[in-house]
Amino acid sequence: MKLYKKEGNIIQILSFPSETTEKGDYLLIEDTDAQKALIVQVIDTQFASIPGILEELLRSLPDGGQPIQGEDLDPLEIAPHITYIQDASLLICKIRATIENNSLNPSTSWLPSRSQSTVRKLSIPALTKLAKTDGKLPIQLGATKDASLLTIDASSLDGRLNIITGKKETGKSHLSKLLMLNLITYKATVVVFDLNGEYQSLGYTSDGKRNAYHDKIHVLTPSQNFKAALKQLNLHVLLEILTHALHLPGTSAREFRRIWRSLKERDMLNLHELGEAIRNWHCNQHVRDALFSRYHALVNSGFFTDSISEATLLEESLLKAKQQGGAIIINLRNTSPIDRQIVVEYLLAKLVGLLTSDRLKAIFLFAEEAHLYLRETYWDDIVTRMRHFGIFTTFVTNQPDTIRENIYRQADNIFLFNFTNEHDLEVVSRAARVDAETVKSIARDLPPHHCLTLGKVVRDFPMVIKVKALDVKTMGETRLFFKDVN
Amino acid sequence: MVIQQHTITTTQKYNFPHPTIDTTLPQRLIQLSLQTLTHTPSISMQLNQQPCNIESHSLQLKPQPILLKPKHTPTIVAAVDTSNIKIGETATGILIAIRGANIWKQNHIYRYIRLGPFIFHTTEENKKQLYTTLQKAYLNTTHMQTTPTLQQMPNRIANLLEKWLQTMLTKTINNGLILFDGSLTSGTPDTPTLHMRETLQTARKHNNTILAFSKMTNLRFNGHLITDIYPKHTPPYLIEAIGLKPKPPITLCGDIYVARLTKSNCAFRLDIDKELSPQQKTEAVEKLLGNDIITQSYPETLRLAHILCTFTANEVIAMQHYIQRKHRLRLINRPDMHKLLFGPFGKGETNQ
Ligand SMILES: Nc1ncnc2c1ncn2[C@@H]1O[C@H](COP(=O)(O)OP(=O)(O)O)[C@@H](O)[C@H]1O
Ligand SMILES: [Mg+2]
Repeated sequence: MKLYKKEGNIIQILSFPSETTEKGDYLLIEDTDAQKALIVQVIDTQFASIPGILEELLRSLPDGGQPIQGEDLDPLEIAPHITYIQDASLLICKIRATIENNSLNPSTSWLPSRSQSTVRKLSIPALTKLAKTDGKLPIQLGATKDASLLTIDASSLDGRLNIITGKKETGKSHLSKLLMLNLITYKATVVVFDLNGEYQSLGYTSDGKRNAYHDKIHVLTPSQNFKAALKQLNLHVLLEILTHALHLPGTSAREFRRIWRSLKERDMLNLHELGEAIRNWHCNQHVRDALFSRYHALVNSGFFTDSISEATLLEESLLKAKQQGGAIIINLRNTSPIDRQIVVEYLLAKLVGLLTSDRLKAIFLFAEEAHLYLRETYWDDIVTRMRHFGIFTTFVTNQPDTIRENIYRQADNIFLFNFTNEHDLEVVSRAARVDAETVKSIARDLPPHHCLTLGKVVRDFPMVIKVKALDVKTMGETRLFFKDVN
Repeated sequence: MVIQQHTITTTQKYNFPHPTIDTTLPQRLIQLSLQTLTHTPSISMQLNQQPCNIESHSLQLKPQPILLKPKHTPTIVAAVDTSNIKIGETATGILIAIRGANIWKQNHIYRYIRLGPFIFHTTEENKKQLYTTLQKAYLNTTHMQTTPTLQQMPNRIANLLEKWLQTMLTKTINNGLILFDGSLTSGTPDTPTLHMRETLQTARKHNNTILAFSKMTNLRFNGHLITDIYPKHTPPYLIEAIGLKPKPPITLCGDIYVARLTKSNCAFRLDIDKELSPQQKTEAVEKLLGNDIITQSYPETLRLAHILCTFTANEVIAMQHYIQRKHRLRLINRPDMHKLLFGPFGKGETNQ
């Protein structure tokens, strides 16, 4: 390999067919005289623009289209040299860092000598050693292309905002499971919004036996084992649910507040009395109708109860998880869109309550397809206020444009699986921790289960990994109609 | 057809296509190629120049063109071309590459045999020996007024290969049309008259007609290049040029025509064997029209011959790579790749 060109932080390297280098590989350009080296990453490979190639290709196609047949008598055996040159490729590389005095700095401004520099591959283990990506709380993510393991440190997820995105079926949920299971083994508290009910069996091995996580996985299914007691409900939380999830107009909300207060004063807060109170309340008929329809929605959700004993599991699970680590899986699989919003609204309010009162330390929140249940105003909240309280969110989505641009800008880590859609790639490229060229050129070619890891977990050295398998019972498989027929 | 006897087995060894063809020249080319690349003698510089005035200018164009009608009698059309290029300079000389191709069209299919590239390291010291050895191997003469200059060497060696390829076609094809690149002028340093006559004779013996197309000509009539004159007739037609009296020893072995074969602005100088009857000459061109694709007055078979042997810049790089890898020769001056642009009728850098 030979250094060919440098433009800004892009380096072009000429590579010959015998040197196999692929997108995503790291190279070290060493300039021994300058006692410095550049770490660059191959983000694209092109045909080297060898002069005369077009003529060469053209002459194999004469007029009339039929190829000319013939014999080449090439006694000096030049032909292999011609193909060797023809197949030379140009590696388009992005400068990632400079090594000077055995330490890394982000400088990209110096110019290594073209004639003296040597270019060689930099293995991932060598790179991670230089970048010090591992730490006291290792999480093995999977294998890199050269079959070495990539280990990140759990603390690089701590306090961070992460995004896992990619096409359907590429392995996003799988990675999300891998991360959260590793976090709970380090005694972290994890909450998962499990949209498809695919996190429920994480406590079992693939052949159905209990596994090491079994006691740490708490599956909460709304209106079954997960309910909210009306008596314990904060009026503020209920009003948020009514206005945001059930779109109760402001005037009606004011009436509701009065009804609630009057019931509370008389210690009569239960579902039946709430219904009666609305029926008998002196107010405009429209307001009453509005209140009634919301009341029925609350009752029909089955999420609210008069029995305090039915509503203890969430807090119990959270406190248990605080002790020994654990994940609270909120199974939203059979929950209607409106009920999902009710549940999420309730849960986030509850979590903030527990965190502000110091009953919880911090939680890692994994949210699958959050746009289906997270209301508009929460997005900003999650990266600002809630993060401040100790909710560290990982968004998992196959529709990257449902995540707001400012979330991308603030994301600390991005795990990017394959995308072929130009628009999706465009959206992801806006993330601050990454350059658009890298994302666009690498993400398009990622095979399933491979992700481009970007951000703090890899010290800003983007790396492609094949996410390792998990021996857990997964329920992520799509239900198929003809599955049993075959 | 004789041509189908060109069964070549691609073995490790170099195989030549036809048993009746004298293969001394290609053998020598290989030997000398390797020899010049492995022996790098010391330097002694000297330059000599040789004047190259060939044609005289008392020329007339016949006013009445010969109008042509394509004749579709199935006829083989074959063509020869060679190419040469300087691929670099060393401390002692220059590195040149030559390549040649024979191509023929039969039953609408083009087939070719391509020879080379041969690479030579020519120096002031070895050029004379190199050239005389090759000349002897092929032309069987040592007739040489002056040793070519280093700069002329690429053309001269390529020329020898071209002559050899031409002979190969005249001997192996019957009843065909053989297209040469250039003229039928002889008596020049690289084209002895005796040899030219022999070639034409062999062709006639096999009932072949040689048509020589010049890509460029300096022949003028009333101050205009003969190929820039447009009589008001619809092509295809030929206009005969007469009255040309070359200075001895230069000899014209062909009659000279301006050939305007398609309705384009292009015309070429075309030389046809003097010994043929006027009808034979016309018929040959008419058969060409009926058997080959003609674009811008130029036959496709000949164009393909050019294209096949022309060196692309990529190949030049590859040959430099070969020389450095295989023979450890250090190039001190490489040709400028931007100059290596080839048009459809183009040749190598040093030609013309
Ligand atoms: N790294 C991996 N190793 C083995 N199987 C995997 C891996 N990643 C995903 N899978 C499997 O591939 C399928 C799709 O993965 P999933 O995580 O559900 O995709 P997504 O969430 O992107 O739609 C699942 O059956 C999952 O178990
Ligand atoms: Mg999924």
